[in-house]
Amino acid sequence: MNNPFITKEVIEEQVVVDPAQVKSQFSRDADLLRVEALHKSFGAVAAVRGLDFRVGQHEFLSIIGRSGSGKSTLLYLLAGLEAPDGGHIYCYGKDCNGRDIVQLTENDLAVWRRRQVGLVFQAFHLIPTLSAVENVAFPLYPEHISKQDRRAKALACLEQVGLAHRAGHRPTQLSGGEQQRVAIARALIGQPSLILADEPTGNLDSQTGQEIIKLFQKLHADSGVAMVVITHDDKVAAAAERILKMEDGRIV
Amino acid sequence: MNLLFVFNELIRHRSRLLASILSIGIGVALFISLQAYSEAYRNAARVPLSEIGSDIIAQKQGERPLAFEGVVFPHSTSPIHAEEIQAIRELPGVIDIGQSIFFWSFDPAGGYLAGLGLDPSETVGPGRLSSAVRAGRFLLPGERGIAVADTNYAAEKHLEIGETLTVSGTTFELVGFVDTTRAGQVANANIYVPLADAQALCSVAVNVLAVHDFRPTDANIIFVRADPSQAPALSEQITGILGMDAIVTTPRSFDRVLGATFALIDRFGLLVGLAGLVVAVVGLLRTTAAGLWERRRDVGVMRAVGWRQKDVVVQLTLETLFLIGLGWLAGMFLASVTTWTFGFTSITVPIPWELAPTPMMLPGGPLKRGVTMPLAAGINPQIALAALGLALLCGGLVGLILAYRTANLKPAEVLRSE
Repeated sequence: MNNPFITKEVIEEQVVVDPAQVKSQFSRDADLLRVEALHKSFGAVAAVRGLDFRVGQHEFLSIIGRSGSGKSTLLYLLAGLEAPDGGHIYCYGKDCNGRDIVQLTENDLAVWRRRQVGLVFQAFHLIPTLSAVENVAFPLYPEHISKQDRRAKALACLEQVGLAHRAGHRPTQLSGGEQQRVAIARALIGQPSLILADEPTGNLDSQTGQEIIKLFQKLHADSGVAMVVITHDDKVAAAAERILKMEDGRIV
Repeated sequence: MNLLFVFNELIRHRSRLLASILSIGIGVALFISLQAYSEAYRNAARVPLSEIGSDIIAQKQGERPLAFEGVVFPHSTSPIHAEEIQAIRELPGVIDIGQSIFFWSFDPAGGYLAGLGLDPSETVGPGRLSSAVRAGRFLLPGERGIAVADTNYAAEKHLEIGETLTVSGTTFELVGFVDTTRAGQVANANIYVPLADAQALCSVAVNVLAVHDFRPTDANIIFVRADPSQAPALSEQITGILGMDAIVTTPRSFDRVLGATFALIDRFGLLVGLAGLVVAVVGLLRTTAAGLWERRRDVGVMRAVGWRQKDVVVQLTLETLFLIGLGWLAGMFLASVTTWTFGFTSITVPIPWELAPTPMMLPGGPLKRGVTMPLAAGINPQIALAALGLALLCGGLVGLILAYRTANLKPAEVLRSE
């Protein structure tokens, strides 16, 4: 264990998650996202070519592919951070009712992300001037909730990722694994229907990466939140219930 | 919007914070200090008049005396008749009026003195010297045959209270000494006598009557307290009454004789101050733009986690406004130090030759033509608030535009590239 801040108990707690048990807990009949004929090009380069797939409301989905296969572009499209050239992304989560997020305005997309989607990035993307708990609470700053409530929610999320004891530390005072846990806690604070993770273990050593994946599994098992993890790593992908493979912008 | 986030971001980049604060601070200080300097000059120019409670001094240029013997009028003065004084008193905007007779007296032995006849009951003009008594007492209304002397003159001539002075055959008992160091410069004399006595002296003075149509109720200098808003128009109307030979002195007259420095500050002070503020805002623009460029990733994160564009714009603009507020405080501090140092400098307000108490042809005459005083500069609260308002307006606008441009960055592009 190269991370002195993660206790053995926390890791063991994460290890005991059984995907079979998770499958039995949540129905996968209902869609959370339905993607139809999604296209995205950058100049002459077609990054995403007519994708059709669905994400179940409580599904843990991996999208695997080599560098340049279009998987990160797909994630940004699903998050509404990138506008597609064509196609639809229908959302069936809370308050969505089958709305096509492609049609939403920038502001509506921002609110949708804040309330429905948690994002986890390879580079963590924490705000360096804020402490761990402030980073977790960061998405709630524009909301009209009291500072105390915001902090309480953020601390609860840090508790979920086993990092409550590091609440007051700045990102530079945390290890890579801890920073990614803070980022995951930040993704959880809006109680999203969906967590989108882009190479969440890409900047971590293999052991810490495994711990992060186990944390994803545990969170999925505990709350049933749908997860889409983009990765190029077979081992990471294997943690999911379903794997989609991308190649040259297509699902193969 | 989150103040903690604002504070953390500013503290994180201390050098940039300092550069921004200094940039705004220097601009604000320049703007405020130049206005303070200009106002101090303007106030100093008013001192010679304000000390005697007057806004306008009017006199008429006359003929040179045929001989400098006995009582004569300096050729910068000639009689102002009672009807002219009454006409001026009735002009709209005239609040009060005082009258005096200024004369020189040359005795056959070569002695010289400058005398001023005044009415001690008047509140405008040299009657106010009653507050400058240093020994004895001042003239009282209705008294005749008494005089008070300037302290310097008294010391020079070794005069004592109770002593008798003779001016062209008329005797006066010396009852007090007055300090005319500042106030007296435009109404300065060696001795002050009752107006009626001065009128009587001049009525029989051969070298006055030889060149002037002097009547026993005339004066040769009048002091006018005026409604400030009507003072410029009054100046012209008084000239109209007294004719082409009128010499009308106003604060503006002193402004003019203060010379090129004041003219430059007066004309271009506001412009230079505004230019300083603009330079400060440009400095802020550069540091803010650089700061926002470095923070593109943070802005990308804001958008990715669900901040709307307007949330980002409000947050970033708030940071800029906070910087401007700190810069303004720094500017106020710098301006306070600068205006405080102005107090250690002095300014000499030249007295126009026509108001000079001592004949130019006498030794030392030209040296006395000026009032020297400390430059009393202070920060005008309205100017300070105007500087804050301008800085907030210009800086806020710049901050808003930059924030809006930054908030419009595509988060995907920023997050991918970082």
